[in-house]
Amino acid sequence: MDTIIDAHHITKTYNPKTIPVVAVNDVHLHLERGEFTALVGPSGSGKTTLLNLIGGLDKPDTGNIIIHGTDITKLSANQLIDFRLRNIGFVFQAFNLIPVLSARENVELIMQLQGVSRNEINQRVQVLFRQIGMEDKINTRPSQLSGGQQQRVAVARALASRPQVVLADEPTANLDSKSAGNLLDIMAKLNQEENMTFIFSTHDQRVIERARRVITLVDGKIVTDTAQVDTSPAVHG
Amino acid sequence: MIIQMAWRNIWRNKVRSIVIMASIALGLVAGLFILGLYEGILKSRLKTVIEEEVSHLQIHNPSFKMDYEAVYSINQVNDLTQKIFSLGNIKALSVRSIAQGMLATSTGSSGVQINGVYPDHENQVSQLNKKIKEGDGFTAGKRNQILIGRKLADKVKLSVGNKLVLTFTDKEFTIVSAAFRVAGIYQTDNAPLDERNVYVQADDLNRLLVLEDECHEIAILLDNDQALDTVEQQLKAAYPDLLIENWKQVSPETQLMIETTDTYSIIFIVIIMLALMFGIINTMLMAVLERTREIGMLVALGMNKLRLFVLVLWETILLTLAGAPFGFLVAWMIIRYYGKTGIDISSFAGEAMSGFGFSSLFYPEFPWTKLLTVLYIVCCTALVASLFPSYKALRLVPVEAMRQ
Repeated sequence: MDTIIDAHHITKTYNPKTIPVVAVNDVHLHLERGEFTALVGPSGSGKTTLLNLIGGLDKPDTGNIIIHGTDITKLSANQLIDFRLRNIGFVFQAFNLIPVLSARENVELIMQLQGVSRNEINQRVQVLFRQIGMEDKINTRPSQLSGGQQQRVAVARALASRPQVVLADEPTANLDSKSAGNLLDIMAKLNQEENMTFIFSTHDQRVIERARRVITLVDGKIVTDTAQVDTSPAVHG
Repeated sequence: MIIQMAWRNIWRNKVRSIVIMASIALGLVAGLFILGLYEGILKSRLKTVIEEEVSHLQIHNPSFKMDYEAVYSINQVNDLTQKIFSLGNIKALSVRSIAQGMLATSTGSSGVQINGVYPDHENQVSQLNKKIKEGDGFTAGKRNQILIGRKLADKVKLSVGNKLVLTFTDKEFTIVSAAFRVAGIYQTDNAPLDERNVYVQADDLNRLLVLEDECHEIAILLDNDQALDTVEQQLKAAYPDLLIENWKQVSPETQLMIETTDTYSIIFIVIIMLALMFGIINTMLMAVLERTREIGMLVALGMNKLRLFVLVLWETILLTLAGAPFGFLVAWMIIRYYGKTGIDISSFAGEAMSGFGFSSLFYPEFPWTKLLTVLYIVCCTALVASLFPSYKALRLVPVEAMRQ
């Protein structure tokens, strides 16, 4: 097995000098490549904070987070930006596509930041849009796409850089059932095809059902960590 | 893609961007119009200085300009003028005898510079005949005629046909007086010169000064301004004993005025752009703060600080430069229009302008030579204006920014 994430004793406290809120409390986490994991728990349980810490968007007060051999808690702000660019893909609840760029340009942007050649960008974009089933919307601006379509583009953007880990914060929260189902199918397919590691924070039962591992957080602590079998219909295409 | 993004970001709030672009365009119109006006005024003044006052080059006895004594003359003038003409590039030259003296009438007196000229030559060099507003000017064969300036005529209450007496010292330092009759009253745009200079025929003055084949000044008008350096060098090489001066040396105030006006006009543009800069900063700051979440997301995805800075910088530059072409175009159209019709300020400032030697009718010219400088100032404005919004963008923490 290939360890992708190895986190030890992670603690994150907000407002430590006024009214301390322990968002993540001495968490240990170990994920292998290709896992499809859901972080679940009630609101305020620390799911998003844990994702932010793993994604290098925030720094833990204590502990180490080693992603694919790099201890990201030791990286400077600039090094973290570069690390995120090359190793982490993000899918946000509110899609967060850049409105002035077309779907294609949103996906291309990450690869351009990485310095990928134009040829390679073109090939990768074609593949990704085929995978998310949106070849016909490739030049459409986000404002002209539905929520589900926007989130699919966001997934394509997250995968464009071939990251080690894709972190998705409530990816289906703003989607209707059909769109959410489609998105999960796509992510499951990409997880299998590209062997990328996916971690979701979610309340959505549909996501939880599709996850092969479910980690439950309560008050910043992992209370259960269970492996399960994906019971959804097989993904085709 | 960053430039593309920057350009599209500008148009996210069209009204706001158009307002700032319009203000930049208007600022440039105002600045360029002032530059054009200065350019027109200066060129007009320079043309007057060269074609009506001092010519391109002047030749003197080196001692003459120290105390303007008649004894310090240039000899063998006929031979010298023929040789000067043979140098080429000479449009016309005027040989002048000069005496400092006193003009007296029954109603008053005034110190004057008496210029003895050969009318035909002088007309070619300084267009003296075109400046005559009253009287017929010099008449061939008539002796002791004089042309006086309007300002002097008013001062000593002289009119055409009146008699006056000129008193001065001749070449042998003897005081001589002679009566002259006013043959014309001239007027130029330079009132102080009109008050100071009177013109008589060279033959009359030479006779009184006891000059033979001599003069005190040779004014040379060239075919074109570009020939100035060449002819000046040729003259200096050929006549090392004579004082050869170009118009910048004869009229240093004109040269100084050109240089200082250039500087002032650029300062004027800088002040306009400084004022506009705050508008640009405000607009860009709003643009950045409105996109806090998006900028946080870009940093989260991996856009480093340099690229973020470049993005905001490009947005500012494009916002600023987008207004510039309109500013240039409108300024060009306005200047072109007034360049043809002229701007006449004689009704409210004519006398004041004349007091400084300026015409009160201006023909602005588009300041092509300063266009690059203006563009450079605009770019600098954009660069400086982008710093604060960029700083604000760089200070954003992705997690906090994305929460907004």
